Amino acid sequence: MDRSRIRNFCIIAHIDHGKSTLADRFLEITDTVPRQKMAEQYLDRMELERERGITIKAQAVRMQYRAGDGVEYRLNLIDTPGHVDFSYEVSRSLAACEGAILLVDASQGVEAQTVGNAYLAVESGLEIIPVVNKIDLPASDAEGTAMEIADLLGIDPAEVLMVSAKTGEGTEKLLDAVVERVPAPSGEAWMPLRALVFDSTYDSYRGVVAFVRVVEGTVSRGMKIGFMATGVSASVDEVGFFSPDMISCPGLEAGEVGYIITGIKDVTRIRVGDTVTGREAPAAEPLPGYRDPKPMVFAGIYPVDSDAFTDLNDALEKLKLNDAALSFVRENSKALGFGFRCGFLGLLHMEIVQERLEREYGLDLVVTSPNVVYEVEDREGRITHVRNPSDMPDMGTIKEIREPYVRATILVPPDYMGGILELVKERRGIYQDMAYLSGRRVELRCRLPLAEMVIDFYDQLKSRSRGYASLDYEHMGFLPGNLVRLDILINGEPVDAFSVIVERSRAHDYGKRITQRLRELIPRQLFDVPVQAVVGGRVVARETIKARRKDVLAKCYGGDVTRKKKLLQKQKEGKKRMKMVGKVEIPQEAFISALRSGGEDKGK
Amino acid sequence: MRLYIHWPFCRSRCSYCDFNSRVATQSLMAAYGETLVKEMKTWASLIRLGGQGLRSIYIGGGTPSCMSGEEVAALIDAASLAFGLDADAEVTVEINPATWEAGDFRHAVSGGVNRLSIGVQSLDDGALRRLSRTHDALEARRAVASALTSGARTVNADLMYALPAGSEDAFLSGLEEMSGMGVHHLSVYALTLESGTPLQRLVEQGTVVLPREEEAARQYLSAVEMLESKGFEHYEISNFCKPGHCCRHNLAYWRREEYLGVGAGAHSLLGGVRFRNQRSVLLYLRLLKAGELPVCGAEAVAEEEAREEMIMLGMRTARGVPERTIGGTREELRDLENCGLLTISGGRVRLTARGMLVSNAVMADILYRRG
Ligand SMILES: Nc1nc2c(ncn2[C@@H]2O[C@H](COP(=O)(O)OP(=O)(O)O)[C@@H](O)[C@H]2O)c(=O)[nH]1
Ligand code: SF4
Ligand SMILES: [Mg+2]
Repeated sequence: MDRSRIRNFCIIAHIDHGKSTLADRFLEITDTVPRQKMAEQYLDRMELERERGITIKAQAVRMQYRAGDGVEYRLNLIDTPGHVDFSYEVSRSLAACEGAILLVDASQGVEAQTVGNAYLAVESGLEIIPVVNKIDLPASDAEGTAMEIADLLGIDPAEVLMVSAKTGEGTEKLLDAVVERVPAPSGEAWMPLRALVFDSTYDSYRGVVAFVRVVEGTVSRGMKIGFMATGVSASVDEVGFFSPDMISCPGLEAGEVGYIITGIKDVTRIRVGDTVTGREAPAAEPLPGYRDPKPMVFAGIYPVDSDAFTDLNDALEKLKLNDAALSFVRENSKALGFGFRCGFLGLLHMEIVQERLEREYGLDLVVTSPNVVYEVEDREGRITHVRNPSDMPDMGTIKEIREPYVRATILVPPDYMGGILELVKERRGIYQDMAYLSGRRVELRCRLPLAEMVIDFYDQLKSRSRGYASLDYEHMGFLPGNLVRLDILINGEPVDAFSVIVERSRAHDYGKRITQRLRELIPRQLFDVPVQAVVGGRVVARETIKARRKDVLAKCYGGDVTRKKKLLQKQKEGKKRMKMVGKVEIPQEAFISALRSGGEDKGK
Repeated sequence: MRLYIHWPFCRSRCSYCDFNSRVATQSLMAAYGETLVKEMKTWASLIRLGGQGLRSIYIGGGTPSCMSGEEVAALIDAASLAFGLDADAEVTVEINPATWEAGDFRHAVSGGVNRLSIGVQSLDDGALRRLSRTHDALEARRAVASALTSGARTVNADLMYALPAGSEDAFLSGLEEMSGMGVHHLSVYALTLESGTPLQRLVEQGTVVLPREEEAARQYLSAVEMLESKGFEHYEISNFCKPGHCCRHNLAYWRREEYLGVGAGAHSLLGGVRFRNQRSVLLYLRLLKAGELPVCGAEAVAEEEAREEMIMLGMRTARGVPERTIGGTREELRDLENCGLLTISGGRVRLTARGMLVSNAVMADILYRRG
């Protein structure tokens, strides 16, 4: 097809602002999916995503559209993930487009993540088409929302289009605007192949399905290709596109969007952001912007039933097949037995993985409270990265501990500003500046330690603004912090699963909470058991589990020893499920409840 | 051999009780008494005692003093006729304070009873009411006095601690009074909350509040201290006696000696096999009427289990258990010794008073501790 008739675009929208609904209208207008066949929200495929309203994996759909000018165009709609955990994926999806619809719910106004992604799109040189959605809603403020968008982009409010994705009003005009305003792709079909992998998914029969945007050259069936970042070679088994189902075709040319299948089964070999080139005439340079997936948040994941360890292992292997960003290494915890230290892009990513493990694989899990990765410089100037607090070297050998920070943007109505500033301060945030967005919203910028965000920052943000505040952030590297490793000792024995890295001034509070919790949860022993929180050999909090003083001593009557024997038998069974920490017997459940509830109130 | 005779009837039920007992008509009790005799005769035709008679008889309940003193004497006669009775056999009967007159005591003693065990439970009328006992403190004192003058060799009083709204003082003064009256033996039990009892419901509702673990432990330890200072030997977790007055029948249980239990729900250990009778009185009567023994749940005790029993039962007593029976490493026992829960001396392991309070846990630790 003539390149000048191709338009590649995406929709940037906050969750629930109507992206999927609008995409459905486009599929209808272009007859890609006949109206009667339209299952609601066709593009959202995964069940989990449907329930949570989150788009985890982007896809691309090809549509044929006869525009107002009577000419037939080929439109490729590329779906983008909506959450900051996946901002790298968002950036790759944007890189596959020439234009973006910026969709904002008229009843909600602009959200921080939308701002973030809009700027990302502007920076990537995309043509932005600002749109206000849900104008059919009586409670909507289309005018005000248009003003906000105009402020954000520095344009005239009159340039903002008005649609209702639900009723379809304005959507055809919007498609015409896409055709008119989004530039056709550049790049020539005869050049050496450079195609951007902007997403991938895994199919158990065919292996990895890579979504590509051909930037230059042509990729065709049977071709020998290479992935420039990973150095993996393969030959193309199948090329095609979605419309909306998988349709194979002989090849894709510069400017086109589709998928390739190579028979590669391992997702880690085909990475989002990598460049596909030809083996015969390879390109000199890869496309810019590739990054290794870098997990920022870590947590231990353990099976509640230690027999399920192999099942957990298998399940993680399988998840990894279509989640290249997930990392895991085996670890052994005194309290929890065998499990894995897993790395995630962020908190949402972690929740999704946990939920999938539990739901799709039926596993019962204990997840330790999440921690970030720390950069540790020792006295000799050597730098290591610590992913598990219990691996933190002895404080005496350390020169400096650095922790990851994020640049955060918070949008909040002026009324809640005070509470949010307080929260930022509580979380060791460094205030940067603020700006008013059309008088309705303040845009607050600050730096925050990622560690403070992974606990319940987002929930707090919402609860202190009655749900109005929104958040966006990007990683900004490591900064030194006054951090210490806090260990929990039960009867003098450290229990690894409870070790944390905390800011020095908070060590006492945190230690107190955890030791109290454990005192409540650990059953009395035959001797007093001290539970201590220790920082660098110094006890910062201490509780004592008093020794058991009296058992139930039922009368042993008329030679009836059966009761006593039954009781003893029960204790024997019980002992099997006990974990030994030194001489202290602790039921696994006690650890689990301490860990499960440990994170909840950490921030308060 | 030793014989236990169970009498599963009471005048009314106490609020905490989950013993094998019920309220019944006179005619049912009469039929039961006759059946007991028949059961003993049947056993006598099956086992040979090797020329020796019974070394002890224990008539427990329920409330065996629902029978008159003469009826008890007749029951002892029947047992003696069936199995023979050693000249110095210990013969115990349990008595509820609200049941017997002085004449009953006299008849029982002349019929062979030499040990009387009175269910005093408490000398605090409020506490007795809360337990829905059928007697008050005055009746309890009177029963003890009658027992002491009846000519029986040993008189025991049962007293409970850890009672709802019961103070340590009230409990100790009860013990003191019993000791002052001259009882030779005291059984001191903690009130235990059994599921399905009226008391348990009251506790659940919050109407009745039981003392906390610490308080209960304190009461027990104070009792041990006080009784020892008055010359009582603390020879078993719950039992105290003046020298020469220990209960040989009960000691036999702790030493895993053989015994036969007759009556509904009675337990036996014979020839290394543990078994019991049907708990239901009607079933018990029906089976014996048909000429069958109402035995069920027979289980040969395997060697390892017997060792566990030996430890579990032996550790209840002041004599303790030989260290080699326990086996394992010495270090494990040392830990418990360091906690003040047991002592090791002369090759025997014994619980301390504090250890007795947590005997279940100590026993589990000794038997099943993993490294
Ligand atoms: N009233 C109204 N509701 C809409 C409109 N567009 C989407 N919705 C509703 O808003 C909710 C979120 O829409 P969805 O397309 O799933 O949002 P997404 O999370 O951005 O994909 C759904 O309940 C839609 O039915 C609209 O124009 N008007
Ligand atoms: S007298 Fe003894 S057996 Fe009878 S009901 Fe009361 S506690 Fe139970
Ligand atoms: Mg959606």
